[in-house]
Amino acid sequence: MTLAPIAQFRVPSQPVAARVPVAVEATSDHELMIAVRAGEIRRLGDLFERYHQPLYGFFVRLTNQPSVGEDLVQIVFYRILKYRHTYRDEGKFSAWIYHLARKVAADHFRKHASTPIPTDPVDMLDQADAGAQPSEQAAAAEDVVLLRAALARLPLEHREVLVLSRLQHLEHKEIARLLDCSVGAVKVRAHRALKELREVYFKIRKEKVA
Amino acid sequence: MNCQRVQDNFIDYQDGSLPADESAQLRAHLTSCPTCQREWAALQEMTRKLDALPVAEPSPRLRENFYAMLDHAQRDADAPSPFALARSRIDRFFAALLPEQPAMQFAFALALLVCGLLAGQHYLARPAAAPVDDSAKREVAELRKQMDAVNQLVVASLLQQKSTTERIQAVLTTMDQKAPSPSDLHAMLTVMQTDSSINVRLSIVDALNQHSDDSIVRAGVLSALPRERAPLVQVAMIELLTAARDRVAEPVFEKLSRDESVDLNVRAAARRALAVLRLPAASPTATLQPAAQPLLT
Repeated sequence: MTLAPIAQFRVPSQPVAARVPVAVEATSDHELMIAVRAGEIRRLGDLFERYHQPLYGFFVRLTNQPSVGEDLVQIVFYRILKYRHTYRDEGKFSAWIYHLARKVAADHFRKHASTPIPTDPVDMLDQADAGAQPSEQAAAAEDVVLLRAALARLPLEHREVLVLSRLQHLEHKEIARLLDCSVGAVKVRAHRALKELREVYFKIRKEKVA
Repeated sequence: MNCQRVQDNFIDYQDGSLPADESAQLRAHLTSCPTCQREWAALQEMTRKLDALPVAEPSPRLRENFYAMLDHAQRDADAPSPFALARSRIDRFFAALLPEQPAMQFAFALALLVCGLLAGQHYLARPAAAPVDDSAKREVAELRKQMDAVNQLVVASLLQQKSTTERIQAVLTTMDQKAPSPSDLHAMLTVMQTDSSINVRLSIVDALNQHSDDSIVRAGVLSALPRERAPLVQVAMIELLTAARDRVAEPVFEKLSRDESVDLNVRAAARRALAVLRLPAASPTATLQPAAQPLLT
């Protein structure tokens, strides 16, 4: 591997197209949720449009099972409806929804403790980009499969911190509040998780070659 | 800056949240340290790989399910519960009853309170006291009746004792109490008038000596004295009444002292007693003792 100038490698913490919507829009998440709490239930639809995709990504990365991910997203929104009265005036909606999501995921893992997380599921393969060159496409697809397998092999707490920081683009401060630990602890955990992911990734690649 | 410190700062540097001076130090270290360069490159590579993971797209089923659930919840929220309906109806009823202005409402409530107080005073106060009195009286009468029954039982059991010794024993046991109840005394007086044994009657009179300040005892002894036929008991009774200095006994003593059929000793005792009672404040026991002594032996 050749070393490029460091500045080129810097990955922005917010990716080009921010998928978690910015609160500057017409109505903020918080205002919408307050309205839902007051009985305007249909306004939860707006929140669903903003959050269902990131949440689905969170669950799919965490469980490695796309079909389970959809069910868990549904459960999160069901709980939002059911416990809407507990949403506090000073609350932050994104923190609340991820808090609920973590609980839903924990319930899922508790219920299916005996079922191992699939490391290489078939349904992970059906999203290969058809437009790319055959050789490049094959290499990229293989890389994605390898990475997913490596991610699935990480312990849950490492996988979770990676998913929250790199895939859900939550700030370390938010993750710390969510995991109930210090910001420093989150950073240390994220760094360790990345190192471990790399080790597992290369281990799996070696296994495949052999 | 050592390697460990540099690597600890990687995450912040990656985020762009590392202060400018520390970022400069980190960059300077990286240019000179191959180990940290490798580490940094590896971190960046994995981060890029992670960020390049295709976004997972949920199926349309998720949206359909969600909106079905939302419709259902909205319908539930819109449909008023029967409880809420009933409550609003009750609210309307009371709203119709009350005047609209708060001041009038207050006056209305005050008027209602005064009416209630007057009505309560008028209807509740008097009849409430009467039945309590009646029932209390009935209760007392009932208790008195029960007490009489107990008395009769005591007397009966005393009289039923077979031997004289047992009867005396019973009398002594009853009178041995520090403060025998009026009912006990009453029972003793009854036995004193009815028992066939001189010894029993005598021991009762003896025992009653301690209670001669009780008017019931004195009245009982006085009423029993004319009917008593045993001289010993008569003398004991006269002594008891004299010791108590009860002047009510005077006519009875007079009658006894003049009655020819009465024992000589009794007549003498009665005469002495009369003398004692007519003396202003002398001690009666001193004068009586010499005459009583030979009679008892």
